[in-house]
Amino acid sequence: MSILHFCQWLENTPVGVAVRQSVWLFPIVETTHTVGIALMAGTIAVVDLRLLGFGLRREPVGAVLRQVLPWTWAGVALMFATGALLVSSEAVKLYNSLFFRIKLALLFVAAVNAVIFHWTVYRQAAKWDQASSTPARAKLAGLLSLTCWIGIIAMGRAIGYETK
Amino acid sequence: MPLLPFFEWLDHTGASDMLRNSQVLYTSIEIIHLLGFALLVGTILIVDAGLLGIGMRRQPVLRIAEGLAPWTWGGFVVMALTGPLLLSSQALKCYHSRVFWTKMALLLLAVIFHFTVHRQAISPDRARIGPIRARLTGGLSLTLWVATAVAAKWVEFA
Repeated sequence: MSILHFCQWLENTPVGVAVRQSVWLFPIVETTHTVGIALMAGTIAVVDLRLLGFGLRREPVGAVLRQVLPWTWAGVALMFATGALLVSSEAVKLYNSLFFRIKLALLFVAAVNAVIFHWTVYRQAAKWDQASSTPARAKLAGLLSLTCWIGIIAMGRAIGYETK
Repeated sequence: MPLLPFFEWLDHTGASDMLRNSQVLYTSIEIIHLLGFALLVGTILIVDAGLLGIGMRRQPVLRIAEGLAPWTWGGFVVMALTGPLLLSSQALKCYHSRVFWTKMALLLLAVIFHFTVHRQAISPDRARIGPIRARLTGGLSLTLWVATAVAAKWVEFA
């Protein structure tokens, strides 16, 4: 089954049809998805900005990260759940959407970046955690993450204006 | 309503014409508005989480709030600059929209709450406010900001 076939199938599932056809469902799901940005991207941005050395310098990076992380995960769960519903309602349109493809690519890069950061630089966090200035690789991870998330939000908004 | 002339003027400014004629420009400003939202509400949410006692337990809420304040302000300034621009492109439509005024009322409430009750709850001399009041403040703050955001999104669909 090709991806396009999968998208066609997805659009015609009861869930996809319901979200697409209901007067209220799509706005409710999309609003939840949008407000969830503050939860997910907002908390990620705080960690990124700390890594880059803009603010919260008195707090160890680890402390900021550990305390924000549960909220970030809650945001991720919310965003993926609502995102999946939105995708199911217009899967074929999104399959053909350049913005959506860029968004997925950026999500992938953001995820890989986060995993690499946690497995490498952050492993030695004890050495630089307390310092107000972070190592170059931590800064790079923060910058890349911030850039990806700005792009993801931008692409998400742009998709809304794409004609079917 | 005394505000109608202002909205009529806003609707006819050069900026509003430019925004109406350029989808790219409008979308770009909307994206910047949305990024400001992530920063503003994201940072407030972290402070409110501290007040609610969910996460943020080891750091005093005041220190977190102080550290985050510049970004909260940054987000607010970005939103305050881009918001009126977006409004100008459909000022009259918004003027007649009940959802828009609901959003403005919620925004006003959220801002007033932020600089009064919320500020008091995190100020150093009130460090010993009871856990119930802290939780109520955090919960109410979060509710007001999320409600403002929901109303904002609803302006689009209304």
